[in-house]
Amino acid sequence: MQHVSQAARVSSEYYSAHHRDWTFRRVVVAVSLCALFILCWRAAEIRPAALFDPAALASIWKFIRNLFPPDVSPQFLRVVAVAAGQTIAIAVASTAISVALGLLLGVVATPVLWERGIVLAGEPPGFGRLLQSNFSRLARAFLGFLRAVPDLVWALLFVVAVGLGPLAGTLALAVSYTGVLGRVYAHLFEDVDPRALEALHASGATRAQVFLRAIWPQSAPSVTAYTLYSFECCVRAASVLGFIGAGGIGYEINVSMRLFEYGQVLTLIVTLVAIVAVTDNLSRILRRSLRANVATGSIEALLGQKAEHFLYRIKPGKQVIVFAVLIAIGWSFYATGFLNGAFGDSGIGVRVGRFVAKMLPPNLELDFLRSLLLPLVQTIAISVIGTLIGIAIAAILAIPATSTLSLSESDAAGRSSGISRAIHRAVYTITRIVLNSLRSVPEIVWVLVCILAVGFGPFAGTLAIGLHTGGVLGKLYAETLEEVPVRPIEAMRAIGGRPLQLLMWAIWPQARPTIVSYTILRWEMNLRVSTILGLVGGGGLGQIIYNSVQLGFYSNLATTIALVYILVVTTDWISHRLRGQASSSTLTSIEAY
Amino acid sequence: MIYHLEEVSKSYATRNGAVPSICGINFGVEEGEHLALLGPSGAGKTTLFRLLNATLRATAGSLTFAGETVEHMSGRELRAMRKRIGTIYQQHHLVPSLTTLENTLCGKLAKWSLLHTIRSTVQPTRQEVDEAMTALEMVGLADKYRARADELSGGQQQRLAIARVLMQDPDVILADEPMASLDPVLAESIASLLLSLAQDRKRTLIVTLHDVEMALRYFPRIIALREGRIAFDTTPDQVSRDVLEALYAANGTHPELAASEANRLPSINNTGATCEPSCAR
Repeated sequence: MQHVSQAARVSSEYYSAHHRDWTFRRVVVAVSLCALFILCWRAAEIRPAALFDPAALASIWKFIRNLFPPDVSPQFLRVVAVAAGQTIAIAVASTAISVALGLLLGVVATPVLWERGIVLAGEPPGFGRLLQSNFSRLARAFLGFLRAVPDLVWALLFVVAVGLGPLAGTLALAVSYTGVLGRVYAHLFEDVDPRALEALHASGATRAQVFLRAIWPQSAPSVTAYTLYSFECCVRAASVLGFIGAGGIGYEINVSMRLFEYGQVLTLIVTLVAIVAVTDNLSRILRRSLRANVATGSIEALLGQKAEHFLYRIKPGKQVIVFAVLIAIGWSFYATGFLNGAFGDSGIGVRVGRFVAKMLPPNLELDFLRSLLLPLVQTIAISVIGTLIGIAIAAILAIPATSTLSLSESDAAGRSSGISRAIHRAVYTITRIVLNSLRSVPEIVWVLVCILAVGFGPFAGTLAIGLHTGGVLGKLYAETLEEVPVRPIEAMRAIGGRPLQLLMWAIWPQARPTIVSYTILRWEMNLRVSTILGLVGGGGLGQIIYNSVQLGFYSNLATTIALVYILVVTTDWISHRLRGQASSSTLTSIEAY
Repeated sequence: MIYHLEEVSKSYATRNGAVPSICGINFGVEEGEHLALLGPSGAGKTTLFRLLNATLRATAGSLTFAGETVEHMSGRELRAMRKRIGTIYQQHHLVPSLTTLENTLCGKLAKWSLLHTIRSTVQPTRQEVDEAMTALEMVGLADKYRARADELSGGQQQRLAIARVLMQDPDVILADEPMASLDPVLAESIASLLLSLAQDRKRTLIVTLHDVEMALRYFPRIIALREGRIAFDTTPDQVSRDVLEALYAANGTHPELAASEANRLPSINNTGATCEPSCAR
């Protein structure tokens, strides 16, 4: 009976430990979370009643009814084609610039070449070395700044500096993605196996030789894959830049929206979604075929293999590919008006310089700073409540969208009914379609739709973020739940567990870390988005930026942008801390975007 | 009779067509019977287990559990049946991120209402924790209740899987190589634990084993599988060394030996030679 007494002792130990957990600290955390939630709720001006207001419902209904039929008249299709071409040209040209600048700055920002590590260990300390390492640090900070300021804010600045049109969009994306790519390249260069560096350095290689012979060969596959991925993002960004006048398809959506030509809006949105989907898939296929460890079994993997075979069969030769890419880049520069802009009467540099001069010094008066406080809180509140709405939508839709939960296997024991299987299949398909449409419409477009329902202000912005995030997270959640190891699930099914029990006891415990980290990452991104929603009437700091530009208060603009920068950097840091060091693999964590 | 299998076959659909795993098996198991399954790797033991705990559908034939045909069961009936069967898997099938205690509690899952499932996710009842701790105590893991399942060694995971089945307290225990990752002393103690448990509570026990000696020593009935068919179904005293050699002989190396040796035994159902590529009757 000594056995039982040990079990009893251990189980009381467990119980007392559990009770101890419900301490003061937990209560404090719970209360402050509640307070934070209420504060955000108030700041984002959430009015659930507004959604069920008859007038709001009527205007939404009118919007939906007028979307059909889509405008497919030849004149309009010509407009759409030009806009689509412009969007792609913006993406190609800006990616080309950002790859070139990103590589250059990325090399400068790589610590292993300039600051520490084996290549520098033998160098004598001195002024030159100090200069080098500080220059490298400065490059990293500069890249961080380019990246932290949202691309739409860059676009707005360039619209003011160089005028409306695709040139402003191209420059904005080029600047923004130089920051993104430079940082990532520096990371990838830093992550290579240092033994190769040591060997080359020991045999007397110069720094350039070390880079070209040891670092580049190791990091080239990741660099290519990430560049393709960034092109994908660039296309997505280019399609919405137009909302603030930077050309492309977004510009046309904005115009049609303002003219209440909803049929045209539908055509444009479908085109936008199609462009994004095509580039996504092309780039994914290319990236999969580049990556050695392709996850087998999924449809994407299969597609990737097929594309690989396809590409191998064509074998157009390297020169042909390079030539085609060069032509595309050349055409893009021409189509975005880059050549005229750069070599026209007053160069880009002059105009940008003049504009920057107007922004300095930033307005640091106390009254103005105090007036920024509310929009700042509002921006954070929009991102928090928007993300929560997204989590709620995702949680509801992810479960029917998880094939392992909602579709029964053909091998399952017992009676099988064709009807129930068909219903399950239909529910699964419909939720997947809903998630995909929520996801593929950009937040900016959602803002315009939500404004129709609840009017201008932070509530519209919050709803927009919530809808888009719901689509993104719903898909990620469903995929995470699907990819959980199946053995524990099988064991619990074998003892007679119900689907909900499988979810709670076998699937969720395994999926939780990934889901939490995706969600935090998404909140970080939503904060960035919420700083710019104000540009189209979604409240927050973007509103101040927009007003400052409209009124020509450029010193206010400088202060606000600095604030956005600080906010984004702080969020990055918080999000990184919350997620722990789990996101060390750049490429996999980036897939979450 | 708790299990009755009649001409049960199972083949898996693959890219190269249907691959048979179990080919027309017939046998019955009485309530409270203890039997060991022998056979080389790939003989279909694991597939047979999945058929027995109704997680896999048979391609042909009929399988009845306690007089009811599995094929005709609804989802609810299936769950009611599975509740009575506890499975110890070869790869343990534990939830890696849950603690030892939580994994043990999972054994009770099927007995919980949905409301209770939510409740015990937050805080299990005192009685359940006591029960789980007793089960852990029996396999010698009580002091590890706080550890995550993926922090345990292979042998500890094996014992945890057994504790989960103890917690479930089913009528039938199916154990797939339960002693595989244990050292000899521990294997002996776990084997006697399983057997005494099954004896005391009058549970049916079906165990696959690689360790032939242990099977012959502890189990009154031995069924041998080879290439998806029953090679023999007999008592341990009828199993000779030659028969075993034939059973484990590499495929095709001693086919005539396998056939002739097998024929000497009185209770042979099948010669255990090669399996037909398809199981169509």
